[in-house]
Amino acid sequence: MKKISKKSLNSSFWRWYYGNLTCFSHEHMQTFGYMWSMLPIIQELYETKEEQQQKLQTYYPFFNTEPQIGAIVVGITAGLEEARANGAEEIDDEMINGIRAGLMGPLAGIGDSLIVGTYIPVLLGIALGFAEGGSVLGPLFYIVVWNVTILWFMRFIYFKGYELGGSAVEVIVGEQATAFRESVIVLGQVIVGAMAASWVNITTAIELTKDGDGNPILLQDKLDGAFPGILTMLFVLGAWWLMAKKAVSPIKVMLLMVILAFIGVFFGFFDPKLSY
Amino acid sequence: MISWVQAGLLALMGVLAASTIAALGTSIGNYTLNRPLIASLFVGLILGDVEGCIQIAVPMQIIYIALVTPGGTVAADLRAVSYIGIPLAWAMAKSQGWDMGGSEASAFAGAIGAAVGTVGTVQFYGTAMMNLIWQHIGWARLDKGDFKILGKVEVVLPLISHFVISFLPVMFIVYYGADAIADFKEALPMDSWYMKSLFTVGSLLPAVGIAILLKSVVTKTSDLVYFAAGFALAKSMGLTLLAATAVGGVFALINYQITMVKAKAGTVAVDDEEDI
Repeated sequence: MKKISKKSLNSSFWRWYYGNLTCFSHEHMQTFGYMWSMLPIIQELYETKEEQQQKLQTYYPFFNTEPQIGAIVVGITAGLEEARANGAEEIDDEMINGIRAGLMGPLAGIGDSLIVGTYIPVLLGIALGFAEGGSVLGPLFYIVVWNVTILWFMRFIYFKGYELGGSAVEVIVGEQATAFRESVIVLGQVIVGAMAASWVNITTAIELTKDGDGNPILLQDKLDGAFPGILTMLFVLGAWWLMAKKAVSPIKVMLLMVILAFIGVFFGFFDPKLSY
Repeated sequence: MISWVQAGLLALMGVLAASTIAALGTSIGNYTLNRPLIASLFVGLILGDVEGCIQIAVPMQIIYIALVTPGGTVAADLRAVSYIGIPLAWAMAKSQGWDMGGSEASAFAGAIGAAVGTVGTVQFYGTAMMNLIWQHIGWARLDKGDFKILGKVEVVLPLISHFVISFLPVMFIVYYGADAIADFKEALPMDSWYMKSLFTVGSLLPAVGIAILLKSVVTKTSDLVYFAAGFALAKSMGLTLLAATAVGGVFALINYQITMVKAKAGTVAVDDEEDI
């Protein structure tokens, strides 16, 4: 009975933790990081060079996901590879790559929305509060909390994936996990709304008319009277609509904003009213 | 204003933190050192003004709070914002005698951050393209059974891409830019249409950043109700981000319980009533 040593598993984990994207290209993305990470495991499980080379080829196909949560996939394949080395016949290249291909999409979605899209912005938001007045507390808070928690998380799911092997798939895409994930995403939607309100501030300088005392009546005040910050919200929703519904790339939407800024300034809709 | 040694150190930090392809990997390089708020601590140490640099970085961090890079499409590579934008904005504020936390410095930092963000994007795609060379060397050597090449492709060879595409440009832009920027005031008056437009761009771009984030958490259009609720919580009711998180948690919990109840009702026979 072959068993992967703790040393090889650790080596595999650290290689993934560090190298998941260091040699990124749009052609192969995380493929090389994956192979480098599987190498210690394959070299321990299989004796001949020919066998090692053949088993490494299992990991030649394209791989890309959110790499931090993706640590679980590397762990799962380590577990599967161990079972295969012990003669489990149902585990072949096709099955391993089926699991890899089947998980990378959902995991990218989960990782992007929960880790990158919710957890990091919330941590940064707290750190921004601590950084008031230029305090080093802000950056230090983020450096410590983020790195400790993400390292713990990645190690945890890597080893969990290794223990569970193929049955980890159920844990990730099972009913309870799906319900949990969808609920966290609801929380994410509320937080994104709060972030938009706190950190984006788009105002118009349009003057509707003057009142009896000669004070200007501003369109901005009228809009905020209806729904505070509605102009900001409309810009965010407009950008979302273009990207999500019309498949316009973020870069093009940014360019559009640049054009809108020029046109808006030209017609007096925008005026930042700053001076040196 | 910035010496060659300082410019070189800033360029080195840019390499370590080069977004998804960072020389220090994803968690430490991209998601720690790459973020403007965190970078400002290191830029401050290099330039000898930690407090000022952190204050400068706050508006930049807000614009890019929500940067998600799905499938390797990078809207803005923050290494340039962090290690070109912060030093240049700091140099500008210093040469003008602005208060580092004041509104002029903030507005300028936001605008220059957005402007140099595109430099980072070019660097990202350039590096990813150059990495294709190393990957092709990797495939060729793997076919010959040379496993050691994986480590080289992952750790050593990308450094060449970084040196050419990141280190040199950042060092030159920061060194020469810091001197040139002192003449900014005469060349680009605040009430000119282009400066007004630049600052307007700075206020519109965060809307795109938030919209990218929104896209990652919204699957169906009705989800936007949660977004609007979060927006109203923060804008109309004045809740902080953490307080809004608590309220969002209530929605999330209710959603989880309802989903689980539905799932139970769907799969388990009718006689199981205890949890309902």
